[in-house]
Amino acid sequence: MNQQLTALLLALGATSAMAQSADLKVAIDPTYEPFTFKTADGKPTGFDVDIANAICEQIQRKCVFVEQVWDSMIPGLQAKKYDVIISSMSMTDDRKKVIDFSDKYYNTPSRVVVKADVKVDDNFNGLKGKKLGVLKGSTQEKFALGELKSKGATIVPYEAQDQVYLDIKSGRLDGTVADSVEVGAGFLAKPEGKGFAYAGPSQDDPKYFKYYGSGMGVAMRKGDKLKGPINEAIKTIRANGTYKKLNDKYFSFDVYGK
Amino acid sequence: MSGPWSIHRAAAPARGWPPDYVLMTGYFLTILEGAALTVAVSLASLLLSILLGLAGASAKLSGRKTLVAIATLYTTLVRGVPELVLMLLLFYGGTIGLNSLMEAMGSEATVDIEPFSAGVATIGFIYGAYMTETFRGAILSVPRGQMEAAWAFGMGRLRTFWRITLPQMIRYALPGFTNNWLVLIKATALVSLIGLQDMTYRAKQASAATREPFTFLLFAAGLFLLYTWVSLWVLRRVEARYSLGTKRGQL
Repeated sequence: MNQQLTALLLALGATSAMAQSADLKVAIDPTYEPFTFKTADGKPTGFDVDIANAICEQIQRKCVFVEQVWDSMIPGLQAKKYDVIISSMSMTDDRKKVIDFSDKYYNTPSRVVVKADVKVDDNFNGLKGKKLGVLKGSTQEKFALGELKSKGATIVPYEAQDQVYLDIKSGRLDGTVADSVEVGAGFLAKPEGKGFAYAGPSQDDPKYFKYYGSGMGVAMRKGDKLKGPINEAIKTIRANGTYKKLNDKYFSFDVYGK
Repeated sequence: MSGPWSIHRAAAPARGWPPDYVLMTGYFLTILEGAALTVAVSLASLLLSILLGLAGASAKLSGRKTLVAIATLYTTLVRGVPELVLMLLLFYGGTIGLNSLMEAMGSEATVDIEPFSAGVATIGFIYGAYMTETFRGAILSVPRGQMEAAWAFGMGRLRTFWRITLPQMIRYALPGFTNNWLVLIKATALVSLIGLQDMTYRAKQASAATREPFTFLLFAAGLFLLYTWVSLWVLRRVEARYSLGTKRGQL
């Protein structure tokens, strides 16, 4: 009798442990240094990846990273190829119509980057005839098509942000519109970024809110019950210092933003 | 004033150390791992295409109208649509179609056609059509007298095919077969576009991440060349074995 009881309790314990550590499939686009990228041996790494692992630790699930091309991120989520997207996705009203977001986990503005000798004023005049590369399906693409095309710039969409940098290096592009931190670490800090600089104002002006939304959040399917636990997890890691530790690993300023 | 681009990064190497070639070896190793996947996809597709090719050739040569019609439809359609289009159709269209079907039947479950199966199924299906024509030509080249003699001995159709027709057919099929095989190997690069992390996918990622397209894409090209060179050597040995006892014609 005792043996049977012990066996039953062990089995229950084992199944509940298994249920707790069920895999959470997290989609990332690992071409977005320093938020999501891969080391030489193919391991996903970066701020987004670390935040994902911290959240998974809090909600007691195992993070399994699934690579996905950026412009098919949301269709893939709806097709249940993965459970959440933690890949620097901006929370815009358009996106909120089809998916749910958690609270924001960081917020950095976007900027135009062109050669340092190009003069661009606060209204983005001065970009006439310039070819700017953008990530297909990104908020920067919407901004560029909405605001910069009318100023005479040619907007070229790309499948991945690091391919934009490849084409800038080869001379096919004159610059890009990208997240200021991402382009800083992924391009300006590298040898191919020499001679390039930010141009025009930081795009966090309220009049550009319709393009950029209110910061980056964890994306999930509409009505998903993960929203509550993930928001709790974000609050916890911000309160207990984990967030600050991850922030300082990559950045010398507070990336949470306003 | 430190702008947003002066970022501490634990992973960022200081200029000059570790030297670039140490960092790069990691990428080369990853590409080699992808090469194993490429070989797996190509061999699995080859098997499927041989099976479909033999079935198709038999159907076309059977003389029965329905079988001939089906086989002709198969070869015409498949050889007329680009491989990439068929692969995307199967991978995206197939998954969505299957899931809608299951939803219509009331099931909550989702089916996920993963890239490896989608890639192998597509490439095998496409090259089955090319193999059909190769095998058909080869079977037609075997003198009919051989099969008639086998039937006169009382051999059944299957045994005739396996013991008499097939060994003689191989010699005629080999040039076309080698051609199809080499093109198949190169077609496997297309699975990188549906997300399978094969050699081409990893080379593309490495070249974008390090901004060195030449290095990694040339490396991948070199690996493909090595693979085709080994295949050609093997197939030459097979041709020598199956040509024993025949005289070579001279033009």
